[in-house]
Amino acid sequence: MAGVARKNLRKVSFEPDNVEVIVPEGTNLLETAIKAGVRISASCGGAGVCGTCKVRVQKGEVETKRTPKLSEEEFNRGTRQACQSRVLTDLVIYVPVESRLEKAVLNREAKEASEVLAGGWRFTPPLRKYYVELSPPTLEDNISDLSRVLRELKRQYLLRDMTVDFDVVKNLAKVVREGGWKVTVTTLVTAVKPSTQEKRRPRVIRVEPGDTRDKHYVLAFDIGTTTVWGQVLDLNRGKIIATSVEFNGQISYGQDVISRIAYSQKHGLKKLQKAVIDTVNTVIGEVLAKSKVKAADISHLCIAGNTTMMQLLLGLDPRYIRLAPYTPVANMVPPVKAKSLGINLAEHVYLFSFPSPSSYVGGDIVSGVVGSGMHQRHELTLFVDIGTNGEMVIGNSEWMVTASCSAGPAFEGGGIKHGMVATDGAIDDFTVDPKTLEPKIGTINNSRPKGICGSGLIKIIAGLFLAGVVEPNGKFRHGLNPDRVREGTDGYEYVLARAGETQTGGDIVITEVDIDNLIRAKAAIYAGCQTLVKSVGSSVADIERVIIAGAFGRHLDIESAITIGLFPDIDRRRYAYIGNGSLLGARLVSFSTDLLDDARKVARMMTNFELSENTDFMNNYVAAMFLPHTNYADFPEVARKLGRGVRV
Amino acid sequence: MAFEVPKNTYNGKIREITLGSGPSALKIGGETSYPLYIFEGAVPNKVKIAMEVWDTKPDDWPEAALEPFADVIADPVAWAKKCVDAYGAEAICLQLVSTDPNGANRGADEAAALVKKVADAISVPLIVWGTANHDKDTEVLRKVAEVCQGKTLAIGPVEEGDHKKIGAAAIGYNHTVVASTPIDINLAKQLNILLGNLGVSDDRIVMDPTVSSLGYGIEYCYSVMERVRQAALTQNDERLQFPFICNISREVWKTKEAKQPTAEAPELGDAARRGILMEAISATLLLVAGADLIIMRHPEAIKLVREVVNDLTG
Repeated sequence: MAGVARKNLRKVSFEPDNVEVIVPEGTNLLETAIKAGVRISASCGGAGVCGTCKVRVQKGEVETKRTPKLSEEEFNRGTRQACQSRVLTDLVIYVPVESRLEKAVLNREAKEASEVLAGGWRFTPPLRKYYVELSPPTLEDNISDLSRVLRELKRQYLLRDMTVDFDVVKNLAKVVREGGWKVTVTTLVTAVKPSTQEKRRPRVIRVEPGDTRDKHYVLAFDIGTTTVWGQVLDLNRGKIIATSVEFNGQISYGQDVISRIAYSQKHGLKKLQKAVIDTVNTVIGEVLAKSKVKAADISHLCIAGNTTMMQLLLGLDPRYIRLAPYTPVANMVPPVKAKSLGINLAEHVYLFSFPSPSSYVGGDIVSGVVGSGMHQRHELTLFVDIGTNGEMVIGNSEWMVTASCSAGPAFEGGGIKHGMVATDGAIDDFTVDPKTLEPKIGTINNSRPKGICGSGLIKIIAGLFLAGVVEPNGKFRHGLNPDRVREGTDGYEYVLARAGETQTGGDIVITEVDIDNLIRAKAAIYAGCQTLVKSVGSSVADIERVIIAGAFGRHLDIESAITIGLFPDIDRRRYAYIGNGSLLGARLVSFSTDLLDDARKVARMMTNFELSENTDFMNNYVAAMFLPHTNYADFPEVARKLGRGVRV
Repeated sequence: MAFEVPKNTYNGKIREITLGSGPSALKIGGETSYPLYIFEGAVPNKVKIAMEVWDTKPDDWPEAALEPFADVIADPVAWAKKCVDAYGAEAICLQLVSTDPNGANRGADEAAALVKKVADAISVPLIVWGTANHDKDTEVLRKVAEVCQGKTLAIGPVEEGDHKKIGAAAIGYNHTVVASTPIDINLAKQLNILLGNLGVSDDRIVMDPTVSSLGYGIEYCYSVMERVRQAALTQNDERLQFPFICNISREVWKTKEAKQPTAEAPELGDAARRGILMEAISATLLLVAGADLIIMRHPEAIKLVREVVNDLTG
């Protein structure tokens, strides 16, 4: 009999995340997943009615309630609704892609990834581990310890012309003897000019006693102006084993790169450098904890970031980025020891940073372009990375032209009365009843609404615009539904959620000022694309592929974005998302030396256009400050939806 | 092979707008080619000149500008009649200077009553021009629209910030709207779209591109007007196919060069002649840029411009 027996503890591991968590027997499986940091979608909040939280039990047993959301076949295959299941024994649970929180978008990504992501690369990480068994020295064979290691590497793996870090030599005598003349050697190669005969010289960065080949991990990072993302990669299996994100600690010193540079001039670079290093260390701590990898087993750190973020991270004075003619310190920064910058990693770890083509088109864009495979294909591609700055690249495998413009923080929820980043409780979905003008909102995690994130903002304004509540100049039409459209402290506003329905206890509204900010931001991005496309003698109609990356990649509704005039009104099938392109590229070059070479090639291929010097840009910008655009003819599909015929 | 003069091809046409009603109605616009390109298209209506009348006695006009109106300067009705009868004004623009809240701040009812009196007294169309203060213009021009129902006035400046309320009054009482934007093709187009969305009929819109005097950036106005016409005529941009109305005289006559007495600046020549020529040359530039109706002040300047118009339009 069960009675009041002591609850047994059970170990539950989640695949493919490869994370484990210990919970008492009888714990709800959805809660267990949340505790493990595995984000499972549960639109109904665990009531069992939506059927989005399906998982597969691979090992062990759960107690479950059958609902009509589960077919006979699914049930027999071991599929269960996490919210309806309780842990009975130790478990191995597989979380399929469609049950992850980013479901809809991830599905799309999975479908499109094969088309747009870089292909054709070999799994040849720049970082390798070689295990060698050395013959102990004798009077006949008394060459140095180092020569002994190198001799064996050459004999077994045909490695020659190696360079060796001094740090390796420092402890070498002890290491080889500790390992009983069996050691694992870690080598690193850097990029060479593609399609040249330039010789790659592997660098020995570490020698460990014994065979440690099974512990072969590296870190990939994206350092954004607003957020810092990090991942632990397992180079033996070629996969991500943990991901984490934190706000960039520099945020309190300014929202955009210009104000950060200004701050560094007034109050010193050190403070900003320390802030971002602290953030990097926090993220490292989180991903190591999640993945259960030891800091000592991390062999490399690959970072993509915009030029200013990288210079601040590396402690390089960013002053001249801000002053005409806008020069960065270096396009390619030589690898530097991570530890020397204060990053909590072992002494042998180098920080590799992506090459930056210019002051305002940085390594994050090179990384995104390489990750998207744009440089491999002949089709004319427009790559747009949206964040605090909008960066665009147009071109193909033969040429690339770039530009950048300031969009402001609106897309990340900044400068918006009830704006917030895309986390729990952020309104990211919206529809409006065309008759009653009553809203229907969706939030991240289906929590009670707390604010509006960038992608939500786009959906809201697109929806209100199509419903006629917002006019093309971004002002509300009055008198339609006085309950929802009312005069507030910042002019007219639309009530999305009333105080009783929110987490904040106050109304959540969207104001005319918010709409103005978004219109300015979207106008800058659109005008930037338009100006860039025109500067190479093309028109948007010629673009065969549009790749969107950045701040909201995963959650962005392309249709709404086109409706407000953020992106060109062309065939939706030409659009593809890649999410965080910068992180994607950092990951892929960690897996492939081919792509590492490509990054160098791409950075050299890029020709940068300064939009600040371009009179066309200003004109295009003003023309774009309207919904969807002053030129309806450029938005035929949106015009059709608005019931406005366009004469061709 | 015979030489052929190269010609522009046009696929758009400027709308023909009728100002006023009945026997006093005046048509402007309607051209199918660049301004004055009579060898390429039709210019059915010559450029028209409206004369300005102030609703209050001006206190900062130079002598030369006051002189022709000295006998009527304190009576807007008589002033307007003199413009029509003595100088052949094709329209009158009544500038409601005294309604300015930073000036005399005259009330809407009083202003509207005066407009009505002037409108009743003249046989040409009336243009009514506010102070570009959105709140005050909304109040005054709405009243004017109501009181003058049936007169088919042109009322302005209607800007983005007050287009809804004034536009609605114009629709309700059947007047024409002077859509005014600050020297920018895109903003001009946006306002025209908004007015259209509001329900203002396309034959009730004229455009004020905002103009400035010779020596004070008129070349910039010229470029913007030129670009508007290019978009309207060669790209068939429907939301830019409206006639231009240019309120230039008050810009000219407030410049230092138009005001300085001869004694103060003898090197600039005779003050009266100087002011008249500045007005005439400014107006000429605007008509070359595409103006369809120009608001002017001095009868001598008007005479000169009429000669130019007749010479160029045949």
